Amino acid sequence: MNSLKEHLKILQKVKRHKYHPIIHKIHKKYKISKKTLLYVKEYGPHSNVSRSIIKESLKILLFASLISSFGGLALESAKTVFVSIMPLIILLPALNDMIGDYGIIISSRFSTMLHTGELKGKWHKNKDLRETFLLLLIISFMTAVISAGIALAISFFSGYETAFTSAQKIFFISIIDSLFLVSALFIISIIGGIHFFKKNEDPDNFLIPLTTSIADLGNMIILAGLTLLFF
Amino acid sequence: MERFSQKFKEIFSSQLVSIFGGLIAGTFLAVYTDELLMIPGMLILIPGFLEMRGNISGSLASRITSGLFLGIVSPNKVHTKLVRGNIYASFVLVMIVSFALGILACLFNFITLGIFTPKIIIVPIVAAVMSSLIEIPITITATFYLFRKGHDPNNIIGPLVSSTGDVTSILSLIIAMVIL
Repeated sequence: MNSLKEHLKILQKVKRHKYHPIIHKIHKKYKISKKTLLYVKEYGPHSNVSRSIIKESLKILLFASLISSFGGLALESAKTVFVSIMPLIILLPALNDMIGDYGIIISSRFSTMLHTGELKGKWHKNKDLRETFLLLLIISFMTAVISAGIALAISFFSGYETAFTSAQKIFFISIIDSLFLVSALFIISIIGGIHFFKKNEDPDNFLIPLTTSIADLGNMIILAGLTLLFF
Repeated sequence: MERFSQKFKEIFSSQLVSIFGGLIAGTFLAVYTDELLMIPGMLILIPGFLEMRGNISGSLASRITSGLFLGIVSPNKVHTKLVRGNIYASFVLVMIVSFALGILACLFNFITLGIFTPKIIIVPIVAAVMSSLIEIPITITATFYLFRKGHDPNNIIGPLVSSTGDVTSILSLIIAMVIL
């Protein structure tokens, strides 16, 4: 164990940008994953922690935030109608969160299946994958109904009266939006996941930012479209 | 069937937390529609602002959790170089992304409406300072607390920070709009 500590101290002294053979040596000798060793090296005494984080995160954060804002462009075009329907305003952040979370769940589950070799043969015949898809469709349907119901209830208690037909439309918008995007995110995760995996890259690093951004963008485009169509 | 039921419970319960936070944030949005949503460009700013808050807090918690599991961050010692570096980085990232979002909204107003609205650049920056002062301590405290209690923060912190992030972000934007 002392020998391990000594090795880790040597690793912390390695300059950040250099790949040192000691990484491979510790990985082989002590069976410590290269990701763990990367963490030790990245945030060692020779690194500027905040600068490393800012440098590595800035591009993807800007990309994800700007993509979400582009979704807002669609809503701006339907703004007059949209802001006049209180339950839809209440639903907006909830749907964004929910669908973004489904993007994370689908991406991370599919990446894990690829890494663990669970996905053998044709993906559309895989039992686990079909089960996950069915499960997410059921949950997304239920959460869409619950969130629309609560949004209508909050609106009602705030003094906003919603006609029965309008309430039906709001339920319909919430359900269609959720089911369509969960299905689309599933397909994107599968195609993207297989693509990155074949290129020997970790799908986790690409799929999560990609699917959450697409979820936000898609959610706002669909919300804007359906709002204009129904109201 | 048992595995299906277990997965269902895990996903459904985490989604309920997410819905709860989103609906609170949405209620604030609805109540303050005139002050917030009616401002040109705000519908462009808000989704990106919420996305940014969730992403930055989520990855902050995730990095600290990795450090805790690896033993590089001590669960009883918050004031270390690594944690301070993480906090500083999160704050700087929030400022940069907020500024970029403000510029985008301002550009949209200029191109589509022909009006120059510098206020829409300042509002997200002020709101980012306010929301960070609340959200970063919540994220750090919750991550250390959950780890000390024997939980894996990775499983809980995501929905928690995205929910609290939504509420604090919307409230900060409303306050920034009122004071500026």
